[in-house]
Amino acid sequence: MEYYVAVLSIIGIHMLLGLSVYLVAITGQLSFGQQGFYAIGAYFAGMCTALWGIPLFPAILVGMAAAGVMGFLVGFPCLRVKGLYLGIATLGFGEIVRLVFLNIKYTKMIGGKLVGPNGAEGFRHVSYIYDRGMTQVQYLGIIYAAVLVVAILIFLLERSKLGVKFRAVEEDEMAAAMAGINVTAVKVFAFTMGGFVAGLGGALFVHYSTYIDHEIVALPLAFSSAIYPLLGGLGSVWGPILGAAVLIFLTESLRVLHEFRMIIYGALIILMMTFRPRGLIDEAFLRRLRGLRRRRAAASAAT
Amino acid sequence: MKRVIRIASGLLSLLLVLAPGGVGAFQEEGTLRIGGMWALSGPAAYIGSSSNGLSSLAVDEVNEAGGVMVEGKRVKLVKYVYDDACKAEEGLTVVRRLADADKVLFSLGPTCSNVAEPVFGILQKRLGDASDTGLQFLFFTDTAIKFGLAKISPWAFRNVGNEPQMFDLTFKLVKEKFPDLKTVSVAYESDFAHSVSTWKGAVKPALDKHGYQVTEVVEWRFEDTEFGAQTTKLRKANADILVMLSHTFTTCGSVKELKRQRVKAKLMVGITSTANTETMTGCGQAVDGLIIPTNFAAINPKAKAVAEKAWTKYKADSNLHSVPAYENIYAIKGIVEKAGIKNRPETLLQDRRKVRDALAKLGTFQGLIGPIKMNGDDDPVKPRDVDKAIILVQAKGGQWTIWWQPPEMK
Amino acid sequence: MTDLLLDVTQQLINGLMYGAFYAIIGIGFTLFFGVMKKFNLAYGPTIMAGIYLGLIPLYLFKMPMWVVFLTCVAGAIVIGFIVELACFRFIRKGHELAPLITTIGMLILIQETVVTITHALPYEYPNIFGDESLDLGPFLVRPDYLAIFITGVGFVALLYLLVNRTRFGRAMRAVAENPAAAQLLGVSVKRMNMLTFTLSSALGGVSGFLVAMTFGALQPGIAGWMTIKGLVVIVIGGVGSIPGAILAGLLLGVVEFQAMWFLGFTYRDILAFLLLFAFLVLRPSGLMGKPAV
Repeated sequence: MEYYVAVLSIIGIHMLLGLSVYLVAITGQLSFGQQGFYAIGAYFAGMCTALWGIPLFPAILVGMAAAGVMGFLVGFPCLRVKGLYLGIATLGFGEIVRLVFLNIKYTKMIGGKLVGPNGAEGFRHVSYIYDRGMTQVQYLGIIYAAVLVVAILIFLLERSKLGVKFRAVEEDEMAAAMAGINVTAVKVFAFTMGGFVAGLGGALFVHYSTYIDHEIVALPLAFSSAIYPLLGGLGSVWGPILGAAVLIFLTESLRVLHEFRMIIYGALIILMMTFRPRGLIDEAFLRRLRGLRRRRAAASAAT
Repeated sequence: MKRVIRIASGLLSLLLVLAPGGVGAFQEEGTLRIGGMWALSGPAAYIGSSSNGLSSLAVDEVNEAGGVMVEGKRVKLVKYVYDDACKAEEGLTVVRRLADADKVLFSLGPTCSNVAEPVFGILQKRLGDASDTGLQFLFFTDTAIKFGLAKISPWAFRNVGNEPQMFDLTFKLVKEKFPDLKTVSVAYESDFAHSVSTWKGAVKPALDKHGYQVTEVVEWRFEDTEFGAQTTKLRKANADILVMLSHTFTTCGSVKELKRQRVKAKLMVGITSTANTETMTGCGQAVDGLIIPTNFAAINPKAKAVAEKAWTKYKADSNLHSVPAYENIYAIKGIVEKAGIKNRPETLLQDRRKVRDALAKLGTFQGLIGPIKMNGDDDPVKPRDVDKAIILVQAKGGQWTIWWQPPEMK
Repeated sequence: MTDLLLDVTQQLINGLMYGAFYAIIGIGFTLFFGVMKKFNLAYGPTIMAGIYLGLIPLYLFKMPMWVVFLTCVAGAIVIGFIVELACFRFIRKGHELAPLITTIGMLILIQETVVTITHALPYEYPNIFGDESLDLGPFLVRPDYLAIFITGVGFVALLYLLVNRTRFGRAMRAVAENPAAAQLLGVSVKRMNMLTFTLSSALGGVSGFLVAMTFGALQPGIAGWMTIKGLVVIVIGGVGSIPGAILAGLLLGVVEFQAMWFLGFTYRDILAFLLLFAFLVLRPSGLMGKPAV
């Protein structure tokens, strides 16, 4: 039971990462740097609870805020670049964040233990939830409450006027600008929101694992977080959610293959993208779903 | 058709996830479950698979000799092994798989200190405290060597080297044998936690204590391939002793660069993890002269026999990181046979607690090359870590030779 | 003062020569990303796989280095072919980002295969250019870096001739500029892509062989290292521009070595990325590229 709760917890946290990439991707910007915001959220939230005795929820908000501010700042230089260049720029940003945290040392002695980010040695003892008797299942609830809230907000966003603007910018920036959309505002807003969501994921992660270091937010996480929405499908908010679930599911269920696990994992990614190049839940699938609903509505209306 | 394939494969992977943890009734089945989580893929795979091999050897030997005596019945050891790929996140799910789905009594590993950090971090910190919801699961680690890890939780025990002691001894001996060597330069991997903590927590204090002057400190990345600038600095410092706290990949590269720039130190000292066959495969004679403190060398017939069998049967290298996996299984066997565990799924938590408490009070147990003392919960400096013999080895002609061993071992 | 000058010059020499690597790797990347417009993140692993394949004749059959060299190049071409098949050929047209993901999958697959086969053991390439640095006045010069620099120059010259003075080169440039027009003029776009792919893979094999000799020990992590450097170089140099890749490679090398000497490796890496950012913000088309797509 606890094992499945653990897997689901990690899936939930990675769903947030995937959603964060998704938010930015639906304005046509593919970011390989969301793990940088994740790291910022993790370190700041961890410092709040472990160093400054701030309770969990405010700490998470602080982590989100720090990441969101960074997202806002990063959004501006990214305006000038598109496509592959943007991917590389955000990758660079993610790496800069990781390198900065590699060097930050800010520790205090608390209760006989050295607590705080300690450069390459990482940041341990973020044991807030375990110290207070929170169970794994309760924390799972918190994680999925966060995922639910974020997913609903994105869902509503996509159906709002702002959502239309997002997709317009994704489709054709120049046309959108000519239609009077403030492309800069849309893109920077997306980055800020993406920062918030990734920061939330990071804040939740650090309390789940009690530990964060620079290796956790290195390149592999950049690739994974970008794969989630692309594999799952950029058509709807379900895409990144499904993508994260499927990939982590695979990572765990392929354990029977021992040392061949990751080889098969890579091969499966290739296969899945070959057969569903627009993602598992692509636009065609969504259209069919909608078509089904319409047909059913028409059928019930006709009777 | 494609959709059918996808749905089918989705269900298949679901089944694979559900597969583990067949809950037999252990004692009735005649099995005692133990676990291991190591880095079996990724850059630390060599070290992890060696531990795995040594543990398999111990399990085979114990089972061939009849197994473990529990409640008057002889039960066989069954080992559940998972790969954590030296990644914190994987460690977090694997530990719960072992603890909860596979219901093992205890686990060996992990290999990497950065995995041990969060994995120990989620363990219960206050024994028997119902308000502490940390995981109640026992670790008896063989590899993760970063100083202080066992302090994180009373459920974490380690049979690993004590680097502060090892380097203290190293420089004490060096001072005695080469009294006119005074200056030291140090190179370490500043993005790898083990290197950093060894430098700060073990080497630097030892150098200060024995009156050495540190003239230059350079750093590189764990995966760096270019050492020109740092080596030039070392060359300028021209110290008598060179301390290279790098793991195998960077050791080979940096040592070659030293040769290239004709940096000749009178003595070279390395980090514990480099004292293995891996280094010889990669570096060959380039590391000749390197002295490393370690806890294992095949210095007696039993150790030699184990090392040979581990290699022939499992291609596992016997070194200070892998041999404890072998030793720990025998230690736990001894404890289990006296601790009165019931070996049933219902009593799993109590059984683990009994073994944990017994391990904390174990005192001295037998290792492959000498006695090992397990420090208890109340040791102020190194609770649940061991004191054991230190040997210094030196690379000579592509082989590790004994440079110094404790007099009582001769 | 002269001490400082000596240090700066020494690192300048190192930086320029090492920059030759970055340049060659960057050229390979620019051919993929700029000329073929394929986002091939599996290029680094392809080179690494070629290098590791070269170990087979080296260790198992004790063959001389020129056989190892050919194996590297051939290996890179074969793996490149597999990448092309698996990641690009069968992707139905439409989503331009799908190949990005398949190449990431390929990256994982190749890297993990190498790790599994080698058990993450460090193997080494013997250095045919010698193991001692040459004395050039007060400076030390690595013979292998120097040889690679010269070889690099040679290859670049060859490449220049190929691209600018042959029909093949002209066809390649035509396809890069405007595939439809090129097709109208009788160029087989498919064949050109195939050939360019092979050329890039071969170039990867060559640069891989040279680079492998300079390492103390091979490790699977070099795939990621090459990928990052390659991406940085093509962005600074301008995607699609070979002279840009050369300049950018040299620039990156120089900046990195100076930063390494004065600031240490963390700031070296941060500086490399800040340089990248600076270019992206101030001059997105890179040193010599066309305006960014």
